[in-house]
Amino acid sequence: MTQLASIGRSAAIGIYETMVRIAACDQGIQKGLAAGELQFQYYPAGGQEAIAATIGALLDEGDRSVTTYRVIHDIVAKGTPVSEIFAEMYGKATGCSKGKGGPMHLSDPKSGLMVTTGIVGAGAPIANGLGLAAQLKGTGKVTVCSFGDGAANIGAVHEALNMAALWKLPVVFVCQNNLYAEYTSFKESTSSSSIADRAQGYGMAGEECDGCDPVSVYEAAGRAIDRARTGHGPTLLECIAPRLQGHAFGSEQTHMDQAQLERDIENAPLVTVRKRLLEEGLASEEQLAVIEKTAAEEVAAAQAFAAKSVDLDSSELYTEIFADDSLLPEGPGSGGVRIEDPKPSNTTKMMFGEAVNNALDTALASDPSVFLLGEDIMDPAGGIVKATYGLSTKHGLDRVRGTPISEQAIVGAAIGASLEGMKPVAEIMVCDFAMVCMDQIANHAAKLRYMSGGRTSVPITIRMMSAGNVGSFGAQHSQSLESWFAHTPGLKVVAPSTAFDAKGLLLSCIQDPDPCISLEAMRCFFVPGDVGEGDYRVPIGKAAVRQSGTDVTLISYSWGMQEIQAAAQTLAGEGVSAEVIDLRTIVPLDLEAVLSSVRKTGRAIVVHPAVEFCGFGAELSSKIHENLFAELKAPVARLGARYTPIPFNQTLENLHFPNAAGVLEKARSMLA
Amino acid sequence: MAKMTLKIPKGAVSMQEGTIVEWLVADGDKVSVGQHIYDIETEKSTIEIESPFEGTIKILVPAGETLAVGHPVAEIYT
Repeated sequence: MTQLASIGRSAAIGIYETMVRIAACDQGIQKGLAAGELQFQYYPAGGQEAIAATIGALLDEGDRSVTTYRVIHDIVAKGTPVSEIFAEMYGKATGCSKGKGGPMHLSDPKSGLMVTTGIVGAGAPIANGLGLAAQLKGTGKVTVCSFGDGAANIGAVHEALNMAALWKLPVVFVCQNNLYAEYTSFKESTSSSSIADRAQGYGMAGEECDGCDPVSVYEAAGRAIDRARTGHGPTLLECIAPRLQGHAFGSEQTHMDQAQLERDIENAPLVTVRKRLLEEGLASEEQLAVIEKTAAEEVAAAQAFAAKSVDLDSSELYTEIFADDSLLPEGPGSGGVRIEDPKPSNTTKMMFGEAVNNALDTALASDPSVFLLGEDIMDPAGGIVKATYGLSTKHGLDRVRGTPISEQAIVGAAIGASLEGMKPVAEIMVCDFAMVCMDQIANHAAKLRYMSGGRTSVPITIRMMSAGNVGSFGAQHSQSLESWFAHTPGLKVVAPSTAFDAKGLLLSCIQDPDPCISLEAMRCFFVPGDVGEGDYRVPIGKAAVRQSGTDVTLISYSWGMQEIQAAAQTLAGEGVSAEVIDLRTIVPLDLEAVLSSVRKTGRAIVVHPAVEFCGFGAELSSKIHENLFAELKAPVARLGARYTPIPFNQTLENLHFPNAAGVLEKARSMLA
Repeated sequence: MAKMTLKIPKGAVSMQEGTIVEWLVADGDKVSVGQHIYDIETEKSTIEIESPFEGTIKILVPAGETLAVGHPVAEIYT
């Protein structure tokens, strides 16, 4: 083993000091758990202190870190005050995430620890985004992404490593191999003997080091950080450091080799590094005792601070879901949006799809923090329906980035870049593919603002097509998943039906402080309309009354509008006056527009392309009933798609989707 | 002298209650930090509880009792 002196006396002592502070925190937490004072699932980091402490010593203040729920060593080493860490463990307002994230979701943008994820492997795509922002802005910042050996076997990590290598991102992927993925040993879950070896397959540097030895980590991580900082791309660094207890506090250890565990505890990094400092004469016993006593006092003070801190006020339940607390569909602030629609003086006739392209072009031209990423979006393809055609030629491949077919990596990169203040627009092609990156969308984009107590936010836009009812795409390329997104607090969901709104809503989404899902119906793509010039914003959360009427309110969005407008026309011929409402936005919901119309007509039919059962129509119908029960002349009707996968056969597809004839049938029976 | 309360810990995600299997110290004993003081049985496993504090222990609940997570089991006077 190389002497600790090789990295310098003060660095060696500094690393030991951080290791001692980590261990003091770890023991303090486990004491609190044993006493029943703290109650949560805790994942101890004993044995891995040297990895975090050494890497922490090598990073600059502005560098970033993304890690996973075995986090205490990483967050202490990154520099978050121990008092704020403990306060978060106690769920207090003084915590680094305001008590709303908790021990599995600690983050602290002040120290640069941007995300701790509770989802194995999910940090890697986000780390890429932080790296991408650094690369695009030329800040020289490096991002360290820590994950365990278990995470090395999950898809998100694979996607992220490939993308990082492809784009030469300034990210160091640190696999802290503690030889166990929860209750399963490394050998039981991985056929190869090395994680670092995989680097070659990704076309990036890979290195293995002894995670128990600060010198080994210092040298290997030093090389990796240098590589990242000097534009030579990412490294997959595997640091091996055996876990010294069960998976979590209180977990059984029967899956661990007991004899090996005893040897590992005896040779714990904390013990060996201390011994080496003394043997090499780098520090005296007294000096180390002072470090240890100071750390114990720091933790005791942090615990006292956390215990005494005031609890979160109950009003915090409904804050930090969106930037504006008044936009929720429930709760004290739920109000909706009352902003006038823009009225651009000059308009041009163009198709919905061209309007999308025009919006993206406008945003790219006016705001340097906007960039696009997605599969096939660069020229000459310019997107599978040409939505981005011409944009990479005009704005460059850095800002209109074609990606591998890696939806988790795409959305993760957007999330990470947005944490650095950029406004990424990710394209997921068709909505069905959102399911392969739902974790990034629903667990991360939607929740980071809340889980960080409002200290981080994710101003991203995710564009996707709902390609249903145009024939030939079948069950896996035609769905409308707006209810999935609407069901996840923290996501805004827009579904325009006109070319004017397609541009105006997309521009609003791009500049919105929250993650927005823009559902673009393929059935609307080739429909022309008058589109304003320049940057105009259609308010997110405001419905449009397309036709005034008195007998029945027809409500839809996206391509459902084509069906209810056709039905309204037929009804007019039958002497029935229908009011036609285009919701335009699912979340925030403009309930007031719906209620004021139904108050007038007394009848409502909610129509949408998605499956009717458990669909958005059920929610809206229920809200109308709850608010206007006494004023309704008939129960609210719903018409969505049938409860079947989307059939390829044209006759069956026609039966699956709602149509004007179905709307008419409902309207006529309601008015009979 | 401060009174520290020991409660039934939450030893696993699903744990709602635990049974004190055995006290390894007697009422009034001096205990030290890290000393194995009692065992608790959950639906999944038995957890060995080490004393988080140094001091004199006052046992509040005898072995054999099943208690909810968070229920006090002992006090340590430090």
